Amino acid sequence: MTTLAGYMSTDHKACDEAFAIAEEAALHSNWSQAESAFSTFRQDMEHHFRMEEEVLFPALLEAGGPAGPVQVMRMEHAQMNELIEQMANALADKDSKEYGGLSETLLIVMQQHNLKEEQILYPLADRVLAAAREAVLIRMQAI
Amino acid sequence: MKTASLSTEQAPPIAVPLRFFAIAPLFLLLAALIIAIYDTNPFVDAHSPALLAATHCITIGFIGMIMQGAMQQILPVVIGSPMPASRQIAWLTLLPLIAGTLSLSAGFLQGAPALLNLAWVLLGFGFVVFIAASLISLSRAPAKTASKTALLLSVLALTVAVILGALLARGYATGMQLDYAKLAAAHISLALGGWVTLLIIGVSYQVVPMFQLTPNYPHRLASALPPALFTSLLLYLCSIWLNAPALSYFAESLLWVLAVVFALTTLWLQSRRRRRVADATLSFFRLGMISLLCAALLSAAALLSPSPAHFRTLSVSVFILGFALSVIHGMLYKIVPFLVWFHLFRGGIKKGVPNMKQIIPEAWMWRHLWLHIATLLAALLSSVWTAAIRLFAIGLASEGVLLCFALYTGIAVYRRTLKKLVAST
Repeated sequence: MTTLAGYMSTDHKACDEAFAIAEEAALHSNWSQAESAFSTFRQDMEHHFRMEEEVLFPALLEAGGPAGPVQVMRMEHAQMNELIEQMANALADKDSKEYGGLSETLLIVMQQHNLKEEQILYPLADRVLAAAREAVLIRMQAI
Repeated sequence: MKTASLSTEQAPPIAVPLRFFAIAPLFLLLAALIIAIYDTNPFVDAHSPALLAATHCITIGFIGMIMQGAMQQILPVVIGSPMPASRQIAWLTLLPLIAGTLSLSAGFLQGAPALLNLAWVLLGFGFVVFIAASLISLSRAPAKTASKTALLLSVLALTVAVILGALLARGYATGMQLDYAKLAAAHISLALGGWVTLLIIGVSYQVVPMFQLTPNYPHRLASALPPALFTSLLLYLCSIWLNAPALSYFAESLLWVLAVVFALTTLWLQSRRRRRVADATLSFFRLGMISLLCAALLSAAALLSPSPAHFRTLSVSVFILGFALSVIHGMLYKIVPFLVWFHLFRGGIKKGVPNMKQIIPEAWMWRHLWLHIATLLAALLSSVWTAAIRLFAIGLASEGVLLCFALYTGIAVYRRTLKKLVAST
């Protein structure tokens, strides 16, 4: 049976793919490719954040999961959204240097966030939501 | 389950790691000065007091100091458990480390027993505090990962390396009858093969996939490698203790084979990275892994050669300068810009925070990479052409200056931006 940790960790990796393509294209001023990859990346990230913020986090809190870590994860989502917004502006300005700097920054914020979720939050969710896991997965897949 | 480990407040204040990072490069400068003034060449005399002084400036003053500062930052992220009382621990480790390294070097240079005695007490104290704080953090960690095992074994190896180092320094100070060659061999293998290598392995498991979007280290290999390496170290120590050359030969070969497996796996993962953009920190890391392979080859040559001393010195030099220093430079150039950004951004202020590439200019990192390669080549050259040790000293001093400049630039950006942000709110 698919675990929440397994499902969500795979989705993290999927987000990385378009990120890497967009970064390389932007640094080579290949703007049409950069725009299309960035737009995919942005959608992937939005989708991932929605799965967590609309389904996983509320379910976790409802089942008595700890509020502090969820709060930190939401805050880091806001940080990442801010960087993604700035990257969109750099892309619109066709500014390779600015995009590269922001992208480097986002990568580390994102990877460190993923690490914390994959090692701590998702395994915790798998335990706290053990009985409701299937239902939570189905609701997330529906987004 | 310790869920509190997700709190950002667990990251130590920015001053904690930066203090270690800002002071450490000065010890590269000091090592270079000692080498230049005393004209000491490890390929001419591998046991001269000046060489011992310079080597310990690099290994304790630079490598040890950076690694202690980095551990404060790494533990909360990698294993989800911070060091207790990070500010106090930072002072209680940093100050004895500075004073202890200075008095150790001065003690070697002047042959002064009082300074050597002071050194082992100070360094012993600083390391005991660091080791105790690390063990507390590790014992509280919720994660059960291969990284955690590697970090734990690395700290255990450090513990024994420190005890042996203190014993040796005390022996030099008092003229005690000791088997110096045996103790030194055990001290070096635990410090370099144990503490440095296992720490780099434990951290690489996390940062190599993270920074370059490579696949993860194969699970079984990652779990097996640190205990196997530690076991081969223990076997090597037994062989020294028992005077068993055959066991020694086997254990040392095994140790190097495992190091080669780690280096090749890392290079293989990096070749499969999804992030293809040029990155100086990646090049530093790869140079480190290639150097580890070269150090292994040189040690193999020493094991097979009838006159192994020259190859041994080469292997240790390549290990310290090529492997440890390259990886540390690569890590610093990634971590410091991130820390500056992170501590400016986390207040929720969004506008006016520079991105990572505006904190330490990338061009400096590339220049440093080339300088580092040139310095490494000068070190190798000095094995056949004695005068090249001067070139090496110039290179090492320039590296210390450049690293100081880069780090102080980062700190200045932090201070300037913080002032601006505070003024605008």
